[in-house]
Amino acid sequence: MAGDKAQGAEHMAPLVYDELRRLAGAFMRRERPGQTIQPTALVHEAYLRLAGAGTPWHDERHFVGIAARSMRQILVERARARGAQKRWAALDRVTLSAALAVASDPESMLPSIDEALTRLEAIDPQQARIVELRYFVGLSIEEAAASLGISPATLKRRFALARAWLFRELSADGR
Amino acid sequence: MTADQWIRVRELFERALDAAPANPRAWLELQAADADVRLEVASLIDHHTQAGAFLEEPIAERAPELLAEDEALKAGATVGHYKITREIGRGAMGRVYLADDVNLGRSVALKALAPHFTRDPSYRERLRREARAAAGMTHPGICTVHALEEFDGQLFIVSELVEGHTLRDEIGKGPPPDVDAIARTARDLAEALAAAHAGGIAHRDFKPENVMRDRSGRLKILDFGLAYAPDTRVLPGGALATMPGVLVGTPAYMAPEQLNGERADARADVFAYGVVVYEYACGTHPFNASTPLGLVARVLESDAPPIADRVHHMPANVATVIDRCLRKSAADRFGSATEIVAALQAGDVAVSRRLPTAIGTWWEVHQAALMVLYLGAATLAWSIKETVPGPLTLWAFVALGIGAAAGATARAHLLFTAAFNLPRLKDEYMRVRRTLISVDLLIAAALALDGLWIAPVHPLWGVLTVGLGAGVALASLLMEPATAAATFQR
Repeated sequence: MAGDKAQGAEHMAPLVYDELRRLAGAFMRRERPGQTIQPTALVHEAYLRLAGAGTPWHDERHFVGIAARSMRQILVERARARGAQKRWAALDRVTLSAALAVASDPESMLPSIDEALTRLEAIDPQQARIVELRYFVGLSIEEAAASLGISPATLKRRFALARAWLFRELSADGR
Repeated sequence: MTADQWIRVRELFERALDAAPANPRAWLELQAADADVRLEVASLIDHHTQAGAFLEEPIAERAPELLAEDEALKAGATVGHYKITREIGRGAMGRVYLADDVNLGRSVALKALAPHFTRDPSYRERLRREARAAAGMTHPGICTVHALEEFDGQLFIVSELVEGHTLRDEIGKGPPPDVDAIARTARDLAEALAAAHAGGIAHRDFKPENVMRDRSGRLKILDFGLAYAPDTRVLPGGALATMPGVLVGTPAYMAPEQLNGERADARADVFAYGVVVYEYACGTHPFNASTPLGLVARVLESDAPPIADRVHHMPANVATVIDRCLRKSAADRFGSATEIVAALQAGDVAVSRRLPTAIGTWWEVHQAALMVLYLGAATLAWSIKETVPGPLTLWAFVALGIGAAAGATARAHLLFTAAFNLPRLKDEYMRVRRTLISVDLLIAAALALDGLWIAPVHPLWGVLTVGLGAGVALASLLMEPATAAATFQR
């Protein structure tokens, strides 16, 4: 029964995606200069709106998973639109690892992270979920752990693994 | 790697993190695992230790502008009673769409102002005021503003749809414009700007991108009065900066005073008008440089080459107008486009035919007087040579003759420039200034020598000749710098 509901909710992903984009735009027009948008706040507000509208989420945890995925999609699309790949390709190999390790110009590496994450997802889907929650939405270790139903200690170790794996992918020759 | 192997890699990696061994490779050797798994874990631990800050901070912390990025409206979307057909342009102020006004059944241009420009309430208020003023302008050379609309907190400017191409698309492409095209473009743009200036509205971001040529060939100026920046704005990276009076716009078309952060008025439009017509006529920016920064430096520091030097078929009155529009000091330019229209109509720009003041007349008399003095000095040297023949008097005469010819030519050139090409006068004067001083000192020295030589024979002649020499030297060193400074400071 819960599985059916979850299936139904997956079909609502485009709705979540649109709602998050709309909320981000509304935030930009509403707020004073200097305030930055927190993705966590956007996800929370989207949940309140969509849950209030009677869409079939069986809980907020499940919703957050779908929203995190949309957030990844939105951020990567915008980085692409802003020419991230070009800047990424302009980095030479010597400076590449250093640029990654100090996380300089993180925007430029988003499309590459996205592609590597898709490869990691094929090996271990939970790894991709963890990166979405921590990196793309910005949930704390505890929040992310609760959302996935695992202990914070486990989440911390698994995020470390995902980080090491992605770092190796991105600093490798293949780009 | 199999799924089974991956699970063992994950387990071993996690155990290694917990154990935190001093030598991971030695530690791994002791673990029960197959070689592939051990190798993979060793590699991952390696990268784990190198990864530094990688993915440590959420992306939104590091790149907040990504979420703040404004998104395009899609075809078919509706904004109030406007239905988006497609995006037709994108600029610093936001995106422009071709849209249908469903209520009135007409096509319009809908400009969505980017949120980061319109969040500041005082700027929104100013924008409303400007839009109201712009909506009051009806001139065939100005794109009509229909309305300023607000939907869901976002501001939209609804204006007449102009189909065609921008002046930018014409510059430097195809055959260079002929005399008629230059004269017509100069006149049409000046008339449209003048209509706005007469209503007290300055454009403030006049550039080829803001001028459209519609299907019938008529020029229309877009985006009047929009180029205010909010007093505070968010810089990339989220930092808040306060920059009073800073303009959004294109530095390449900003007048020196705008670049210096001063408030711009109609005379900044006059400068931009000069740049645009100049660029249209010859295909090159008057302050062209290899980098944007170099161009700005030239706008502030250097004079543009006179347009007539670059475009030989340039109508003389347009050339004079353009050169005056490009003056560094706003006070030296036309007060508004209305004066440009008048100057173009006068045909020969009578207003600037003569030096403006009494000091100008004095300066002209000074030039003429020196030419007469040169002639007198040469004649005097001739008489002295005839009276007291000898190598010294001969050479003094030769030196005087050469000096008088050179000096008279240079001064005649200045008088000619003052009469027929006034805007160039200062440049021409700077060009010949050194020559003039050298010539004057040469003449003064020759006269002094002659005078001293002849004094024992004709004391009166000697005193007069030496006195004449001293007069020429003093006129050159004392009087001329003063009269020139007074004449050219305007």
